[in-house]
Amino acid sequence: MDVRSQISMVFHLDKCIGCHTCSIACKNIWTDRPGAEYMWWNNVETKPGTGYPTAWEDQEKYKGGWELRDGKLGLKSTGKRRTITNIFHHPHQPSMDDYYEPWTYDYQNLFNAPEGPDQPTAIPISMVTGEYLDIEAGPNWDDDLGGSPVYAENDPNLDGLTPEQREQLSAVERLVFFYFPRICNHCLNPGCVAACPSGALYKRGEDGIVLLDQNRCRAWRSCIAACPYKKVFYNWSTGKSEKCILCFPRIETGQAPACFHSCVGRIRYLGVLLYDAEQIESVAKRPDEELIDAHRDMVLDPFDPAVIEAALANGVHESVIDSAQKSPVYKYVKTWKIALPPHIEFRTLPMLFYVPPMSPVMASREGETVDHISDNLFHDIDESRVPMQFLANLFGAGHEAKVRYALRKQKAVRWYRRAITVGDVDMETAMRMLTEADCTVEEAEAIYKLTSLCTFDDRFVIPPAHREEAIQMLEDPMEHKQSVGFGFVARPRRGM
Amino acid sequence: MMSTPHSQQSPGTTGSRPAGVRLVVGLLRLAAVSTILFGVTSIASAQEAAQFFRQNCMSCHTIGGGRLTGPDLKDVSQRKDRAWLTKFLLDPKGTIESGDPYAAQLQQEARGVVMPTVSGMSKERAEALLDLIDAESKLEKSQFVGLQIPDGPFSEADIARGRDIFLGKIKLVNTGPSCVSCHTTIGLGGLGGGRLGPDLSKVYERLENRKTLGSWLLAPPTTTMQPVFRDHPLEADEILPLVAFFEDRAQRGGEDTSPARLNFFLIGLGGTVLALVGFDLAWRKRFRAVRRPLVKGAELKRGER
Repeated sequence: MDVRSQISMVFHLDKCIGCHTCSIACKNIWTDRPGAEYMWWNNVETKPGTGYPTAWEDQEKYKGGWELRDGKLGLKSTGKRRTITNIFHHPHQPSMDDYYEPWTYDYQNLFNAPEGPDQPTAIPISMVTGEYLDIEAGPNWDDDLGGSPVYAENDPNLDGLTPEQREQLSAVERLVFFYFPRICNHCLNPGCVAACPSGALYKRGEDGIVLLDQNRCRAWRSCIAACPYKKVFYNWSTGKSEKCILCFPRIETGQAPACFHSCVGRIRYLGVLLYDAEQIESVAKRPDEELIDAHRDMVLDPFDPAVIEAALANGVHESVIDSAQKSPVYKYVKTWKIALPPHIEFRTLPMLFYVPPMSPVMASREGETVDHISDNLFHDIDESRVPMQFLANLFGAGHEAKVRYALRKQKAVRWYRRAITVGDVDMETAMRMLTEADCTVEEAEAIYKLTSLCTFDDRFVIPPAHREEAIQMLEDPMEHKQSVGFGFVARPRRGM
Repeated sequence: MMSTPHSQQSPGTTGSRPAGVRLVVGLLRLAAVSTILFGVTSIASAQEAAQFFRQNCMSCHTIGGGRLTGPDLKDVSQRKDRAWLTKFLLDPKGTIESGDPYAAQLQQEARGVVMPTVSGMSKERAEALLDLIDAESKLEKSQFVGLQIPDGPFSEADIARGRDIFLGKIKLVNTGPSCVSCHTTIGLGGLGGGRLGPDLSKVYERLENRKTLGSWLLAPPTTTMQPVFRDHPLEADEILPLVAFFEDRAQRGGEDTSPARLNFFLIGLGGTVLALVGFDLAWRKRFRAVRRPLVKGAELKRGER
């Protein structure tokens, strides 16, 4: 058992209102620079939709992530031999058009435009070429189902849906969508790290944050092709690639990352998970339907004395184990099993989990009677407006069971709380639903609390960074003893 | 900023040469220095002069081998004095233009060809060369007697062998490059020869006779040929067939006007296009674009509806 700690995340999609505050917070801090204009380390997508870059989930085109070839795990985009043959031209690069051409506006035109019959406008101007630009795409072009016939209809997750289900998604008065905020998943088996010919990408030992060393990066851009989530970006100005750093300077000082901190819907949770690194390869090789369970099994119980002992032996600090025991992520992922990894079939073992969103049919109408309660208590899980297969493609590697489990439990908790606070449904039914959804009263209360009444400290359990120990690994703290302090850089000259 | 002389030392100035080369360079330097200091014609400088003569003079002159483009230099110092000869060697063109009658006569004898100013010529070197010519003149058969070519007609076998040498089918003994890599002649067939150097169909006519052509080949003096063949000279038994071959070409007359040149261009063009089509097929699944085709496809679909 090789116990390591990983700062992991949960995004509660049922709470996301798609306000993009997270994206703006991130943009303002990290990517408002030349060369980084088009980058959105954090972005919020509308589902169904093609996202950013366009149709990033379609690995037939982008070749991101891992695949099993004769029982061996290999990157789709590159390999040991192909790294060399493709070193000067990596063939699977998204073009700028697949992201979008960043632009600003020529505001001077508002003041300088010659007099005419129309109001002058601020003309869009490209931030790359400086020329006037006819905007064709943006980072969130299909927001709130904008341009649905083009974008939403081409969502790769619609694979396997019947034409009726597809129709239903965009039917008038049943139209439905939800939001899907994305950052780097800080995967356990990151494709970007494996692909880099220069060894510039690495997974930080103490907390598993995946970082890109700006000094070692040689702009081969293998990482960009290899990341199935397209969360590594090439900066054309510095000639280096960049990615989400999980605001590690904030984490190291005990603050939540900017996108977490600024989240209006409070959908984001952050905490430590202890996992067994020995299992990474074997888990990543499992067949699709076993991946979610295997991934979950890698996460270790921070209360298990054997785990604690192994963690301490591996140099995990006691305070980190303490954080792991309080981790909200552990509860969502492991205890309640209602948070699921996105597209685990890419086999990078992402450490950002999503609580799938509810989209219930609130009432059914027969003639003049409007019925809010049906005999089948969970009827609206399978009849919800977002087809189960769509969610399964996104969060279940194409298999519905795990998604259905998560949604049933959420529904049962809602019903239980409705019985308590509103009282228009009877408690007996609520209790039956809890039992059927594999949930106890205590668990329901805990889920309700962490979902609805969570404080800042409940949501973000950030382990102490112990930079002092990290520094001791690199250099001797006594090294400069007796050699610093008050003195002269150059000898003082005596006299005049 | 602190910097030590050590850190500024540029790497590998002397260390990169092999020991043998360094020794030879050292010896040559020593020889040059001793020549200048003592004015003594040492063995080393005699050897150097012979080498210089072979490389620079032999394509136009012999010692006791008869006239080529330039006169036979045997007993040249009995025809003119040292001072005049040295002056002429240092600046042949200037001497002719100064109205010197003997120089003018020489030019006439050479059918108007002006002796080029030899690069690397100096007063010391001219003296050394004249010493060498004097010494060689006294010998019964000088090493610079030049190529002796029989006057009779060449056999078909000689011409065929010359063609093979020209085409590189027979490798040159001293590993020089074959003629065809830069030159062409009439009647080569196929794609013809190289186009870098001039067409050699009429080279025999240009150099007037067997002897001048043969001597020219012995030590090609032009700036492009000299560096290539200086260390890989042609052997006498390679020059004879080549001369036979060139004589044969000249007798046939005409220049290489075959369509080989156009063919070569067309084959290159076709090959490039084929290669590009091949690449496109081999990598037809490569990433091109996602968003634009997606939008275009959706627009097309809507148009059909």
